[in-house]
Amino acid sequence: MKRFWLWLSLVLVVSLLLTACGGAGGSRLDAIKKAGVIKVGTSADYPPFEFVDASGNTTGFDVELMNEIGKRLGVKVEWVDMPFDSLIAGVQEGKIDAAIAAFNYSEDRDKVVDFSEVYYTSEDAFTVVESSSLAINDPASDILNLKIGVQTGTTQDDWLTALVDEGKLPAGNLSRYDRVDQIALDLKNGRIEVMMSDAVPAEALARQLGGLKVIYKGVLSSGPMNIVLPEGDAELAKAINEVLAQLKAEGFIDRLAVKYFAE
Amino acid sequence: MLTDFFLYIAQGTAVTIGVTLVALPFGLAVGLLLALLYNYGGRWVSRAAGLYSLLMRGVPPVVLLFILYFILSGRLINLSPFWAGSLSLGLVSSAYQMEILRGALAAVGAGQMTAARAIGLTRLQAIRFVILPQAIRLAIPPWSNEASIVLKDSSLVYALGVPEILRRAQQLSATTGQPFLAFGAAALIYFALVFLTNRALDSLAERTKLPTQPV
Repeated sequence: MKRFWLWLSLVLVVSLLLTACGGAGGSRLDAIKKAGVIKVGTSADYPPFEFVDASGNTTGFDVELMNEIGKRLGVKVEWVDMPFDSLIAGVQEGKIDAAIAAFNYSEDRDKVVDFSEVYYTSEDAFTVVESSSLAINDPASDILNLKIGVQTGTTQDDWLTALVDEGKLPAGNLSRYDRVDQIALDLKNGRIEVMMSDAVPAEALARQLGGLKVIYKGVLSSGPMNIVLPEGDAELAKAINEVLAQLKAEGFIDRLAVKYFAE
Repeated sequence: MLTDFFLYIAQGTAVTIGVTLVALPFGLAVGLLLALLYNYGGRWVSRAAGLYSLLMRGVPPVVLLFILYFILSGRLINLSPFWAGSLSLGLVSSAYQMEILRGALAAVGAGQMTAARAIGLTRLQAIRFVILPQAIRLAIPPWSNEASIVLKDSSLVYALGVPEILRRAQQLSATTGQPFLAFGAAALIYFALVFLTNRALDSLAERTKLPTQPV
């Protein structure tokens, strides 16, 4: 039995060491250019930023933007569809070269990955059922007695969790969901009273599902959106930021916003 | 519209079947080996096999999936999401299949081993020609349960970005705002797969039944 425990602890130590020394050195840009392919992760369940269209293609504001970036870098974009929760881990562990999924900058995320320059600025929104008479003027105090739903791992989740941690919002009032459409459905079913999410998908859901209305829009947790890049890879970040600057100057991003976000 | 829905989700069926076809046989090979070691391997080997089963059944499959893909793969071996997912599910299943098979091995009376040795078979021959053929027949009904569980658990590989039936249903639900249709179609496909698997295994059990086997 002693031998056995010895082996077991040896295996544990070795696996810990392997975990500790992970992560590839050098820029991924060379490898990407050599392969002619950049692997980009997204979570294709967030229209109009990223979704699957009628013919089964991944598309949306983020997707079209990234495809253009790929084109200008001279590489093909290979899309990897993952749950939103898995994307940061995917970049961190080098399973994908970048992730674009309406990500906002946050300090916690910045500890493990890097961010590109801002490509779009988003707002937060509170959504309720059409028949509701709720009004939200000052969110930080007006929502404290409401049952509220939010998507796990989003900046809205961070914002609400901070309210819970400060003891202002009762933990039982906050429900977390995997996807934003699940929140909208629970809102319609009356399990929660209000949904907090990015404004653009909230308006898209209200149009699509019907029976919902957005009652507040403003920048609370979200704001500037960035592409998630591997930690410490300055060369890749520089290449992508240069293309982003070009696309902004040419008005490409503004045209995309009109295409996907206009009523 | 309705047929488009169904077709798009049905494309995930190949992935679901693929994952199952890797995980189940892999789990069977490992599980059978461990069941034999558990029953005939002596005290320490038997304990080690028991510990393996305890660990694998005690960890949620999705945790194992993350460990194999995000932590081990790329450092020890390079596995694609499909293989990392399928093998993790296979490892989990191997523990359950081991439990099924060791129960079946134990259900073959101890007198059979004694009798087989008495007519001059070695221990290995007795297991190979006398015990195992009976045990495997006994294991088919509980194994068909495990097969349907692995088939349905295969949806977990989406956590690594492998788009199978359930994920495609989620995407359609998000795009069209028609969750009932999307998940209904997914449920129908899963049901058909599990139904066919169970019927095939029932008929296998029926056709290979021994005259001496209790009903």
